[in-house]
Amino acid sequence: MENLEREHIFVRPEDYDKHFSTLNLGPTHPATHGIFQNILTMNGETIVDAEQTIGYIHRAFEKLAEKRAFYQITTLTDRLNYCSSPINNIGWQTTVEKLLGVETTKRIDYMRIIIMELARISDHLICNSVIGVDSGALTGFVYLFQEREKIYEIYEEICGARLTTNLGRIGGFERDFTPSVIRKIREFINHLPKVIRQFEKLLLRNRIFMDRTIHVGGISAERALNYGFTGPCLRAAGVDYDVRVMNPYSSYNDFDFTIPVGTNGDTYDRFCVRQEEIWQSINLVKNALENLPEGDFHTDVPEFYLPAKEDVYSKMESLIWHFKIVMGEVQVPVGEVYHAVEGGNGELGFYMVSDGGRTPYRLHFRRPCFVYYQAFPEMVKGSFLSDAILTMSSMNVIAGELDA
Amino acid sequence: MEQQLIQDSLQGKFQHGIISFDESSDILTLTVKKQVVIEVIHFIKEELGFHFLTDLCGIHYPDQELALGVVYHLHNFQRNIRIRIKTFTSVAEPEVETLTAIFSSANWMERETYDFYGIVFVNHPNLIRILNVEYLDYFPLRKEYPLEDQTRTDKDDRFFGR
Repeated sequence: MENLEREHIFVRPEDYDKHFSTLNLGPTHPATHGIFQNILTMNGETIVDAEQTIGYIHRAFEKLAEKRAFYQITTLTDRLNYCSSPINNIGWQTTVEKLLGVETTKRIDYMRIIIMELARISDHLICNSVIGVDSGALTGFVYLFQEREKIYEIYEEICGARLTTNLGRIGGFERDFTPSVIRKIREFINHLPKVIRQFEKLLLRNRIFMDRTIHVGGISAERALNYGFTGPCLRAAGVDYDVRVMNPYSSYNDFDFTIPVGTNGDTYDRFCVRQEEIWQSINLVKNALENLPEGDFHTDVPEFYLPAKEDVYSKMESLIWHFKIVMGEVQVPVGEVYHAVEGGNGELGFYMVSDGGRTPYRLHFRRPCFVYYQAFPEMVKGSFLSDAILTMSSMNVIAGELDA
Repeated sequence: MEQQLIQDSLQGKFQHGIISFDESSDILTLTVKKQVVIEVIHFIKEELGFHFLTDLCGIHYPDQELALGVVYHLHNFQRNIRIRIKTFTSVAEPEVETLTAIFSSANWMERETYDFYGIVFVNHPNLIRILNVEYLDYFPLRKEYPLEDQTRTDKDDRFFGR
């Protein structure tokens, strides 16, 4: 009698595989860190299949860009990967410069490198501390967010904004680094290694953290390439592809830095690669700051670079340029250009077709997240739910970049 | 030099499929007929070492007979060369063979292209909208859907001395 009842209550072991349940991870789940949905088919605690639904914050940037003057598109790129908006801004500006054939001075390039590497540091800080949070270690997150705050203060000092920066202009910067900016960057760079070392002591050789992340969400180099992985996720799989080295832009070839690579392509490798990239970025910022050449902080591109305000009030020509730029009256040459920069998550590409008008005829953003997030089901099949969450956070999926 | 090699080997294999080579822009660009585009990409992947699909997107030229285009960007990591391949199809017959059998990354990129341009990728495993809502009944990035135009037509040219 007792046995019979039990049979009704419990699923027999041979039927385990037939009882799948569906679990909605998202769209507004704290573990997704952004608005996108994963529909997981679960067999008990094991994931059988996963399907992503994205597009919750799609804002039609590519359509909007077709009707905007070039300088107005910078603000759209802010909102792609909002953890490292300056990289997107500068990526877009260098794309336009490539189309126009503008050569920037070394000072501009070095200033850009400083900003971009600070942005990369802040991007990686967030991602790695969040991996810690998702594996149950909140402490590191709190430590590192203090440092991110300092980076945001530096942005604020440079351009007045913190998150969506609209930093820099086509042809250079709107203003030079003030002595206080230089001092802040120097202080930050001198202070950061101590904090990173502290953070690494917390997690890097932590038994619990290693058990949670090693062999979790791994992908082979071959599959990663096939899936279009770029950035830290590809390098964790063992491919040393970095746009900064392969197609140097903004004088990255003046600097000596190494590209860390992993072996398994798992969550731990991605964590370590990002961690090492932070160290490399610190050195890059240091070197660029020490060797910052004298010179102008903007190039002479009167069609795109706003003239100084006092000139606008006193010189006819400047007034005309000012008016033309603000009204989006400037035309660019006919052409087609693909320009990529190394964003926080990998190759951030801008494919622009210009028909000689005042706006791009077609602008396509190659968003690294969007391309590699489609590998997620393959990476989590057969693993546990908690591993899937760690895999997701180590891929650093940013909803803004995913949806454009 | 490299470009010449690529051009020669492709021209030898696909004499009739390739419409044009263009070296004037930043990347070697070739335009191919849509019937052979998958063969061409398979060939340059396996024989010429372009193992990485960087980007795939659509484009719309309403004035052309073959108005809808698909643009592929491929990258050869070993020799560090990029190549751009374009293929065009008409709005009435927007079918292009899918690339998903060769590159897994093409899956979402093709869905995105379908979503915005209505280019139908034949044999795609799951060709549904990706960023827009399912019940949308048009393809928003086509040029016939104008936005409010701030820089081109809204402004009366008389006021700007043109």
